[in-house]
Amino acid sequence: MIENTKSLDRTANVILAVGVLYILFPLVITLVTATQSFESFLQNGFSFIPGTYLLENIQIVWETTQLPRQLLNSIIVATMVALIKCGIAFTTAFAIVYFRIRYGGILFGMVLVTNLMPLDLRFITTYQVAANIMMPVNALLDFFGITYIVQTLTGYRMNFQVSVLNTYFGLAAPLLANGTGTFLFRQYFRTLPADLSKAARMDGAGPMRFLWDILIPLSRANFAALFVLMFLGGWTSYLWPLVAASTPEMQTAVVGLARLSPGDPGQIPHYPAIMTGALMVSVIPLAMIALMQRHIVRGLTLTEK
Amino acid sequence: MQPASIAAEIALDAVEKSFGNTPVIPPLSATLGAGEFTVVLGPSGCGKSTLLNMIAGLEPVSAGRIRIDGQEVQDWEPKDRGCAMVFQNYALYPHMTVAENIGYALKVAGIARAERQQRVEGAARVVQLGDLLDRRPGQLSGGQRQRVAIARAIVREPRVLLFDEPLSNLDAKLRHGMRMELSHLHRRIGATSVFVTHDQVEAMTLADKVLILNEGRIEQFGTPHEIYHFPASLFVAGFIGAPAMNLIEVEGDGTALRLPDGTALAGSAHRGRAVLGIRPEKLRIAEDGLPATIVYREDLGSHAVLVVRLGSGQEINVSTPLGGDTVAADQLSLHLPEAHVHLFDPASGQRLNVTQGQVR
Ligand SMILES: Nc1ncnc2c1ncn2[C@@H]1O[C@H](COP(=O)(O)OP(=O)(O)OP(=O)(O)O)[C@@H](O)[C@H]1O
Ligand SMILES: [Mg+2]
Repeated sequence: MIENTKSLDRTANVILAVGVLYILFPLVITLVTATQSFESFLQNGFSFIPGTYLLENIQIVWETTQLPRQLLNSIIVATMVALIKCGIAFTTAFAIVYFRIRYGGILFGMVLVTNLMPLDLRFITTYQVAANIMMPVNALLDFFGITYIVQTLTGYRMNFQVSVLNTYFGLAAPLLANGTGTFLFRQYFRTLPADLSKAARMDGAGPMRFLWDILIPLSRANFAALFVLMFLGGWTSYLWPLVAASTPEMQTAVVGLARLSPGDPGQIPHYPAIMTGALMVSVIPLAMIALMQRHIVRGLTLTEK
Repeated sequence: MQPASIAAEIALDAVEKSFGNTPVIPPLSATLGAGEFTVVLGPSGCGKSTLLNMIAGLEPVSAGRIRIDGQEVQDWEPKDRGCAMVFQNYALYPHMTVAENIGYALKVAGIARAERQQRVEGAARVVQLGDLLDRRPGQLSGGQRQRVAIARAIVREPRVLLFDEPLSNLDAKLRHGMRMELSHLHRRIGATSVFVTHDQVEAMTLADKVLILNEGRIEQFGTPHEIYHFPASLFVAGFIGAPAMNLIEVEGDGTALRLPDGTALAGSAHRGRAVLGIRPEKLRIAEDGLPATIVYREDLGSHAVLVVRLGSGQEINVSTPLGGDTVAADQLSLHLPEAHVHLFDPASGQRLNVTQGQVR
């Protein structure tokens, strides 16, 4: 800071403190409520005095709801999203930066455009395709008259049906489709000295060898950052998993959490259990951020010291 | 490391390069002798790096042939050409130690660990890096990094060593030291070397032969001595030497070369317009010569450089040994020794006087 007076420092600290309180308040409510018994909650409502019932509440959630199974679903889906995304993003960026592709710029532009078309916008189409991923193939066969020809020749009407609804792949695939990761890797590759790939070629390393021996080790921080971002994205997404999984066994934890509050409006919800569920759902992403914090920052700043 | 007896001749035969529709190098032919140290010198953007990359195989030729040791290599992969390269900004692998950097090519080539280590240590010793083998590039100074890059190039015992402005990221003092080391290294290793630079001091001091490139064309290809004393064109004359050669437009009448106002500068049988070149240190201060007014003087300690104005208004540089009796005066008169006068065609820029008698 340019000015370094005490009063300014103090003001800054107060503003920061207010901000921190504002952010922490709901978390504290969640945490405290999760430690209370249903009875004391019914008597006192929300309070700031922690109780001693956390373990019991965890037991209730663990034994009477689908949340454990749904946590597993979330882990599987979020990991799939993160891993596949890292793989696709890295390889596409590699192709765009290190090969002279005709129309490479246009291709990269199209990759970026995916960011302007979020899943929420193409929700219904996505659902239709997920309900039958052969739909585009059927449409193409129709369009070129192949369906008609085959039908007149053999009497068989081609209409393929493959649904990925209610599968892990169906849950993960639409969440993968955006260009953020490709952009991240592309920008990072462009900060690397251009002579690096030339030096590797002079040393006799082909493209795959260069990718494996040099690019991947140098991109570790970017992998970590993208993995965490995509994992969190997969973990917290709500709308798509809500419609793509129709049975509780296939739903993700965030969807399951919302289902913990009873449908019957007259009933008082078991808030301590719900808050415990919320804690359980948050623990994994929190732990991930805590562990990877350093890498995330390094992976997103794009410049190596 | 033993001196390599494997140095190879590089023959460029009508090599051409264009990027898309932009021609960068028109057909270019030259032969770089086996074991010679050739410096490619030219202004920025003239295609030096492009030429080097084509020899290395990093950039395909648009047309023409490249022969190394008699074999046509223009369609070969870089690793098969037996070339190694040192880059301007080192291009070391940041995540590998110095030893791993030097040994990477050997590792890719599948050479056993024991031999690899031995050769890495050998190469490191040549460039005096012995005790830094476990460091990472980030922990080294610029000079040390460039040594690693050189060790990485020589560890494969290449037939051809290519350098792309390897010293331009170093400070002046270090550059001088590295220049000497490179010169010694070349004598020890003996590989054919091609060294790209836009620093004429590097070119004059390191080269067996200098290839001067201008917009992709060879202006002159000769020894540093030839380049300096017999510049083949106006471009070379103006490019080599500091302060630059004086270039004066003159008219020859068959007996003398005259300024537009008729003042005779030097005797010559040339007729017609020409550009007269004379190096600042070759101008003599004489009793009855060309009158000139001193405009500015720079005392550089070892010598002085005077900027003087001729009667025609043109300003030229004169180098004089310090302490000459002219230093205090405002006026002096100059003599242009005929043996040191260069004549160029004003239209084509080509040299006109081809007499070989005017050495030194
Ligand atoms: N990949 C490329 N695509 C298009 N033009 C290029 C490419 N690489 C180089 N050029 C052009 O070719 C010309 C020669 O470039 P080159 O890098 O060989 O110059 P140079 O002599 O090495 O210059 P410098 O001293 O600045 O390194 C320049 O005009 C440059 O713009
Ligand atoms: Mg260059």
